[in-house]
Amino acid sequence: MDFNPCMKHKLVRKTVREFVETELGPIAHEIDKDARFPWEVAEKMRSLNYFGIQIPKEYGGAGLDSISYAISIEEISRVSAAMGLCITVHNSVGAYPIVLFGTEEQKKRFLPKLASGEQIGAFCLTEANAGSDAGGVETNAVQEGSDYVINGTKIFVTNGGVCGCALIFAVTDAQNPRKAASVFMVEKQTPGFSVGEIEDLCGMRANPVSSLFFEDCRVSEKNLIGRRGDGLKVGLAALDTGRIGIAAQALGIAQAAFEASVKYSKERQQFKRPISSFQTIQNYLADMATEIDAARLLLYKACAYKDAGKNFSPEAAKAKLFCSTIASRVTGLAVQIHGGYGYSKEYDVERYFRDAKVTEIYEGTSEVQRMVVARHLLSTPV
Amino acid sequence: MTMLKMVVCIKQVPMVSELPWDSRTGTLKREIAEGMMNPACKHALEAALRIKHEHGGHITVITMGPPMAAEVLYEALTLGADRGILLTDKQMAGADTLITSFTIARAIEKECPEFDLVICGSQTSDSETAQVGPQLAEELKIPSAAYIESLECWGETIRMKRLSDDFLETLEMDLPGLVTITTRHFHPRYATLSGLEEAFQFSDITILSAEDLGLSPDCIGMKASPTRILDVFSITAEKENYVMKGAVKKILEEVFEKFGDKISSAMGKDLKTHEHSD
Repeated sequence: MDFNPCMKHKLVRKTVREFVETELGPIAHEIDKDARFPWEVAEKMRSLNYFGIQIPKEYGGAGLDSISYAISIEEISRVSAAMGLCITVHNSVGAYPIVLFGTEEQKKRFLPKLASGEQIGAFCLTEANAGSDAGGVETNAVQEGSDYVINGTKIFVTNGGVCGCALIFAVTDAQNPRKAASVFMVEKQTPGFSVGEIEDLCGMRANPVSSLFFEDCRVSEKNLIGRRGDGLKVGLAALDTGRIGIAAQALGIAQAAFEASVKYSKERQQFKRPISSFQTIQNYLADMATEIDAARLLLYKACAYKDAGKNFSPEAAKAKLFCSTIASRVTGLAVQIHGGYGYSKEYDVERYFRDAKVTEIYEGTSEVQRMVVARHLLSTPV
Repeated sequence: MTMLKMVVCIKQVPMVSELPWDSRTGTLKREIAEGMMNPACKHALEAALRIKHEHGGHITVITMGPPMAAEVLYEALTLGADRGILLTDKQMAGADTLITSFTIARAIEKECPEFDLVICGSQTSDSETAQVGPQLAEELKIPSAAYIESLECWGETIRMKRLSDDFLETLEMDLPGLVTITTRHFHPRYATLSGLEEAFQFSDITILSAEDLGLSPDCIGMKASPTRILDVFSITAEKENYVMKGAVKKILEEVFEKFGDKISSAMGKDLKTHEHSD
């Protein structure tokens, strides 16, 4: 077992870090403060394939492996978690279900536009009465000839305000609980598709999270991803890949908070010496470093399982659960180490603290991740 | 014009600005730091990539170093170079600039005998000698121009500009030739993620040892290098603060009493004899 990153993964980290530190670093604070989506950076990311990290090359993507993907998301999120969120949601739940379940015709039709970032993707499951319980979805799609007519409202849609298309989880057969839902690809210009107000959220403020409305929104049956009734299967597979991305995002936030804390604790003087010389601060830093290391190993294990074609669902859930938990803990300690300054919007750790919390909530709450892990371990013969 | 066959010489340097010195071997402890492509070399590669994209061409990147130096070759392939050559051999270690130039020249003669243009960074961030480029031109017996800032191809010649003592020189040189590039222009592009995947999937990297180059251990590495570095140290600017307290008149008198000589030498005037001219 070799714990050293291979040359390729080292270069992925270096490449992404160089780009985001130069282009996103100087504006990360401002885009959070102004809740502004950085189109100027997204434009550059389009030409550098950040919107097609894992999309196969034949459809215009970079075709990179999962560890490269996780490293990329980690590095973007280390600088701006909100932009990391845009890229991970687009690549994983926004585009990957088409890679997994799309027909050849659908792949040719949708993937090149997603891979180039011409269309930013989104994934719509959550509704006012449905989230962790996908069975509570009320948005419905009624078949009329070779079309489906979609009606309903999706809430808290990441990339909602900037998306060019979205995968919609909708009920097609309410009477059949096991095969009730299906997933549709709906492009923004489709009549009946509209975007709600941008949400005023605690963190991830540079990502335009919004509601999406579907009012007699008519799409061809050719936009059905997977078979009719396969919604849960498509959705869960999408979430498995999505969880790798959110785990990587949480890890990136934790890493940023940790680095800021090491730097600050060496500079900040109290009682005529740097606070890093106090054992309590050293314990905090040691705990942070240990948890980040453990989280990274768990995440890369999930990625390695995915790349090897194994069932990575429980691994992704464990990684997402642990990475998001430690992200909240590490960013909390970072604020503590920074004291009053850490609570000020002048310092980045305040942003990391706000951004970290939601990683425990979206793409399946920590409670849902435990459910996934427990279900797997209890169903495995001992 | 025919497509240029270019060779870009690159070096992996430590990412940190200061490295501990190994007094036993007389070299820097490079292995403890993360490596990166030397900034001027990256600009040199960018110059080659622009020529390739404008006129077509083929770029071979060549580096000498430990096996991990292959990383900068992959980076160059990611950015758009076509082929990489890694010169790696324990016998080559510890080479000074003269022997480095000698070794690289032999590799170019063997692997790229038809080259038109060799491009190097003007200097490296870990030693700053700026010697390897011009010495390499001597070894290859071709003309060279150092510290180049812009470059245009005119068939069998290249036209270049460089800043020299506040004058902008325009130079022309017949090919084959060698140029060294500064970091003022040719701002390097960002690598694409698809380029990165391709670099590792279809990599064309040749690894050569001293034996592959037909070089005897006596003419390479530290053994053959005439230069011995005795010491390397960082220059530190030392400042001492002196706090004066009390009435302004007293402080002023004290300033001249204590620092009069220093003020005199900074002003170039003897304060004791100098009368105010007004």
